[in-house]
Amino acid sequence: MKFKTFFWFVAPSLFMMILFIAAPLISVFIQSFQITQPVMQQIEVETCTPGFLTQTCTTELKTVPVIDEATGKTQTTTAWVGLESYRNVLQMDKVWAAIGSGQFRDILQIDFWKALRFTLTFTLLTLPLVVGVGLAIALAVNNAAKSLRGPVIFISLLPFIITPVIGSLSIYWLFVGDGILTTTLERWTGQDIAMFAQSWTIELLMYFYRVWHVAPFAFVIFYAGLQTVNMDTLESAIIDGASRFERLRYVIVPHLMPLIVFIALIHLMDCYRVFEEIIGFRSEAHVISLQWLTFDFLTPDDAGNRAISRASASAMLTMIGIVILLILPLRRTWRDHKGGAH
Amino acid sequence: MYLKKLALAGAVSLSGMLMSTGAYAACAYENTVPLKSLSAGFEAWKAVTDAMAECGNFEAELDQEFRTKQPAAFAANPSLYQIGGVSNGTITPLLNAGTIRPLDDLVAKYGQNLAPNQLIRVDGKIMAVAMMVNTQHLMYREDIFNDLGIETPTSWDEVFAAAEKIKAAGVVDYAIGATMKSGWNLAQEFVNMYPGFGGQFFNGDNTTAVNSDAGIKALETMAKTLPYADPEVLVSDSTYVQQQFQQGKIAMSNLWASRGGAMNDANESSVVGKVKMAAAPVAMEGGAPATTLWWDGVVIAANISDEEADAAFRLVMEGMDEEMVKANNEAAIWLVGGYEPGPLAAGAIATATATPAAPPYPSTTQMGLLHTSLGNELPAFLTGERDAAATLVAIEESYTTAAKEAGILE
Amino acid sequence: MSSKATAQPLSLKIASGAFLAFWCVLAAFPIFWIAVMSVKSPRDAFAASAWDVITGPVTQAAGNGLSVLDIVIGLAFLVYAVRWAFTGLPKLIAHLSPPAWIVLGWLVGAAVYAVVFVLLFFGLLPIILGAVNAIAGPLGTPILGLTTEHYVAVWGENAFYENFINSMIVTAGVVTVSLTVGTLAGYGLARSGSNLAFWLLILALIFRALPHSVLVAGYLPWFINSAEILRPIFGELSPTLYGQPWAVIAVLVAINQPFTIWMLRSFFQNIPSELDEAARVDGCSHFQAFRRVIMPVMWPGVITTGLFSFLLGYNDFLVTSLLLDAQNQTMVPAIAGYFNRETTTTDQVEAVAAAVSITAPLFLLVMVFQRQIVSGLTAGAVKG
Repeated sequence: MKFKTFFWFVAPSLFMMILFIAAPLISVFIQSFQITQPVMQQIEVETCTPGFLTQTCTTELKTVPVIDEATGKTQTTTAWVGLESYRNVLQMDKVWAAIGSGQFRDILQIDFWKALRFTLTFTLLTLPLVVGVGLAIALAVNNAAKSLRGPVIFISLLPFIITPVIGSLSIYWLFVGDGILTTTLERWTGQDIAMFAQSWTIELLMYFYRVWHVAPFAFVIFYAGLQTVNMDTLESAIIDGASRFERLRYVIVPHLMPLIVFIALIHLMDCYRVFEEIIGFRSEAHVISLQWLTFDFLTPDDAGNRAISRASASAMLTMIGIVILLILPLRRTWRDHKGGAH
Repeated sequence: MYLKKLALAGAVSLSGMLMSTGAYAACAYENTVPLKSLSAGFEAWKAVTDAMAECGNFEAELDQEFRTKQPAAFAANPSLYQIGGVSNGTITPLLNAGTIRPLDDLVAKYGQNLAPNQLIRVDGKIMAVAMMVNTQHLMYREDIFNDLGIETPTSWDEVFAAAEKIKAAGVVDYAIGATMKSGWNLAQEFVNMYPGFGGQFFNGDNTTAVNSDAGIKALETMAKTLPYADPEVLVSDSTYVQQQFQQGKIAMSNLWASRGGAMNDANESSVVGKVKMAAAPVAMEGGAPATTLWWDGVVIAANISDEEADAAFRLVMEGMDEEMVKANNEAAIWLVGGYEPGPLAAGAIATATATPAAPPYPSTTQMGLLHTSLGNELPAFLTGERDAAATLVAIEESYTTAAKEAGILE
Repeated sequence: MSSKATAQPLSLKIASGAFLAFWCVLAAFPIFWIAVMSVKSPRDAFAASAWDVITGPVTQAAGNGLSVLDIVIGLAFLVYAVRWAFTGLPKLIAHLSPPAWIVLGWLVGAAVYAVVFVLLFFGLLPIILGAVNAIAGPLGTPILGLTTEHYVAVWGENAFYENFINSMIVTAGVVTVSLTVGTLAGYGLARSGSNLAFWLLILALIFRALPHSVLVAGYLPWFINSAEILRPIFGELSPTLYGQPWAVIAVLVAINQPFTIWMLRSFFQNIPSELDEAARVDGCSHFQAFRRVIMPVMWPGVITTGLFSFLLGYNDFLVTSLLLDAQNQTMVPAIAGYFNRETTTTDQVEAVAAAVSITAPLFLLVMVFQRQIVSGLTAGAVKG
C-alpha cells in the first residue's frame, strides 16, 4: 500500500487521537516541569457569616490572589522548575533515609510508593488468575452439552457487561457492615468479621472483584479460540497416547498463545490504571493506586486548589511504568509484524 | 394497582414538565429571562430550585461534581450559569477569582424579606445570601440512655463514659457512630475537634500550626472513639452512619444536623421517635462545642448582563420564600423567615447558639490545602501505622509541599 | 469431540459441570441480589438478615406483597415469555424483515417485544391476578414483599427516561463514529507492512494506557471556555463544548480508538489480502476495493468490535460525569448522583432500582448478539 493511501485510511482516526489524547498528553508532559501559581497578596478582610440568630463578623489577614484589572482574571506566573514536581511525588530523600536506616516499611508510608506497591501487586496477581479462570470456564463450557452453552455463555458474560460502577457497588453491599455475605461468613466461622476494617481483606475483595469482572472477557475470547483448535492435531496427539493434561499443555495452550498474549496486554493496561475499585470499595485509608493518586491531586478542594504539577508528574510516572510493563508482550507483536507483514 | 400507579407517575412527571415550561403554579410572577443554576444536590437545594422552577424559564443543575465545575463555569465569559449554590467552603474560589458580583443594590431592590444574618458580607459588600446553616449535633437514643440511667453527655469525656456503659450493657452493636471515611469526612472530624481544644490552624506566615499540644489532644480524642465504633469506621460516611442509626445499630453520634430528619422517616427508620438531639459535646471544660458552623447560600455570577443578574436575584428571592420553607420545614435548619424549628433541630440550634460559640468553618485557600492534607494523612494514624506525633509532622510536611505549589508559601 | 477416544470419564464431567454451576452462581448472584434489593422498602433492602431481604416483611406490611398464586403464574408467564423470545421472536423477525435490514429488524423487534412485555407483565397481569387473589383464599394471601415504587419514582418523578435517551444518543454516536473511523484505520494498518504502521499501533496502545482522569481533567477548562477560544475563528457561531453530547462522543471515540483499531486490524489481517489485490488488478482503487470487496465480509468483526464500543459508551462514568451538564446527563452519572454526600437510604434504593434498569438493555444486547460475538471472535477479530 502506498504511503498516501495508507495515510488517508488512518487520518480520521489519527486526527482524533492526536486531538484528544496526544495533545493533552503533551500538555501534561510540559506541565510536569512547570509550576503555575497565582500572584498572592495579603489583605485585611472583614467577613460576616451567619449563626442561627446572629451574625459573627471577623476581621483577619487573608492571603488572596491578585486580580488583573484589565482582564478581570487572576494574575498567574508560570515557572520552569525542572524535576521538582517529580521529587515531590517520589520523595526520594525519605526513601533513601528509610533504606539507610533499614526501615523498609517506612517507604510504604509515602503515597507514591504505597500506590505503586498496590498497583503492581494488583496487576501481577490478577493477571494469572484472569487467564486461568477464563481458560477454565472456556474449557468447561466447551465441555458442556450443546443445549446448555447458550444460557451459560449469557450468564458468564454478565459480570463483564455490567456497568463497573454498579458492579463494584453490588459487591461492596454484599460485604460492608452486616452485608448478607459477611453475616453468612460470620455464622460459619463464629467470628465477628469486618471486611472493610483492615487492608488485606479489602485487597482480597478487590482482587476478587477484578477477576469476577474481567474473567468473562478472557473466557469469551478463549472460547472463540477453542472453536478453531485443529482436530487433526488433537487426534494425532491422542493416538500418540498423550494424556488429557498433556493435550491441554502441548496442543491447546500453544494454539491459544496469541490470545493469551492479547488478554495479558489488555489486562496489564487496564489493571495498571486501577481506579474504580478504590472508589467503589472506599479503600483510600488502606490501599491506593497510581491513577487514584493522580485523581486525588486533580480533585479540587473546597477552596478550588488543585495540584496540577504533581498530578502531571504522577501521570507521567504512571505512563513510564506502563511502557516498561508492555515491552515484554509487545516484543512478540513486533516479531509477528516483521514476519507476517503483507 | 400497578397500572394506576404508573398512570399516576406519568401524570406527576407530565405536570412537572408543564411546570418547568410554562405553567406558573405557585409563583408570583412570570420569569422571562432564561436562567440556569449550578449547586450541590441535597434536599434543601432540591426544595429551593423546585420553588424557583415554578416561575418558568429556569434550569437547575444539581451536580455532585459542582465543586470541580463551578470555578471554571463562572470564569467563562459569559458565565455558563447565572446562579450558583455555595457553602462557606466552596465560595472561596469564586471570591478569589472575582467571578461573583456584589449584591447590595439587588438586596435593596428585592431583599425586603431577608433577615440581616442571611447577608454574607466580605469587606462590607454583600457577596452571598445564606439560606440555611448546618453543623454537627449529638444524636442519641433516648430510650437506651433512660434504661441505663445515663445523663445527656455535654463533653467528649462524658461521651466516652456513656459509651463504656452502653458497651458493657451490650444493647447495640456499636456505642458510637463516627463519620470517619478517609478523605474529606475524616479531615472534617479533626477540623471539628482541634479548635475545640483551643488550637489555631495557621501561624501568621501561612505555615500550619497543627503540630501542637491541641493537635495531639485532638488526635487522641479521635482515637478514643475507635473501641466504641464500627471497625469499618474508615469507610463510613454520614449516609452510612445515618443508616446504621436508623437500623438501631448505634446509640449516639455527633452527626450533621441535616441528617436529623431521617431518624423519624418511618419508611427507612426502625427508631422513629426514639432519637433525641443535643448540642455537640465540648472537647474541654469551658470550651466551645467541638464543631464548626457552615452555611449554604446563593451567589450571582459577575460575567453576565445586569438584566440577567436582576432577573436571577429576583428568582432566587422567589425560591427562598416563606412558602417554600413551610413546605420543607424539616429539610434544613433554615435561616429564611417562617421556619419553625422542630424537636429534631434542637441540638443544632443549641450548638449554634452556645457560648462560647463554635467557630465558623474557616474558609481560606490555606484551609482547603490543609483539609486535603488532613484527609490523606490521618488514616495512617487511625489504622495504627503511625503515632500521633509522626502524623502531625506528616500533615505539616504534606501541607507545606502543597502550599508551596499553590504559591502560598515561599 | 465426539469420537470414542475423547470420551471423558464421569469424574471429569462432574467436576467440569460443578465448576460451571459454581461459576454461574458467582457470576449472577450480585446482579440477582441488587435486583431483589430494588423491589423492597428501604428498611428491608438493607436488612441484616438475608431472609428478611428476600421476604421483605416491612414491604409486605406496607401492603405490597405477592401471593403464592402471583408467584406461580408470574413465573410461568416469565418462562414462557423468555422462551418465546428465543424461539418465536427470531422466526417472526426473520419472516417480517427483508434480509438486508435484519439488524434493524432485530432492533425494532426487540423494542416492540419489550413494550408488549411491560404492558402485559406490569399492566394486564396484576389486574387479573388481583381479581383471582381475592377469591383464592390462602393461596391468594401475600407471602413475599415486593414493591415497584422505586422504579416508579426513578422513571416517573425523577424523569430517568431523559437520561435514558441521552445515554442512547451518546452510545449510538460512539458506536457509529468509532466503527466508521476505526474500520478505515484498521484496514489501512492491516494492509500496510511499513514500520510506521507498527509504531502507530504501539503509540495507540500507549495512548490506551494513559489514565483517563488525567485526560478528562485536562479537557474541562477548554470545553467550558471553547466559545471564547474559538470566537476569533468561528465568530458568533462558536459553540460551548461543555454539555454537548457530540463533544463527549468525540472524546469517547478518541479514547476508544486504540482498542477498536487494534481489534479490527487483526480481523482484517485474517481476510486474505489476495481478495482485495484481485479487485485492484481489476482496476479498483484501494478505497473501492475496500468498499466492494472487504465491506461485505467484515460484518462479524465489526459487530463484535461495535459491541465493545457500545459497552464503553454506555458504561462510561468519568467522561460523561464531568463534561455533560444536567440536561444532557447520561444514566451512569445520574445514578452516581444518588450517592453523593447528602443522600438518604431511600435515595440509595432508588439508585439500585435505576442500576437494575440500566442493566436491562445490556441483557437484551447480549441475548441478541451473543452468537455474533462468539462467531466474530472465532472469525479472527482477535489474533494478538
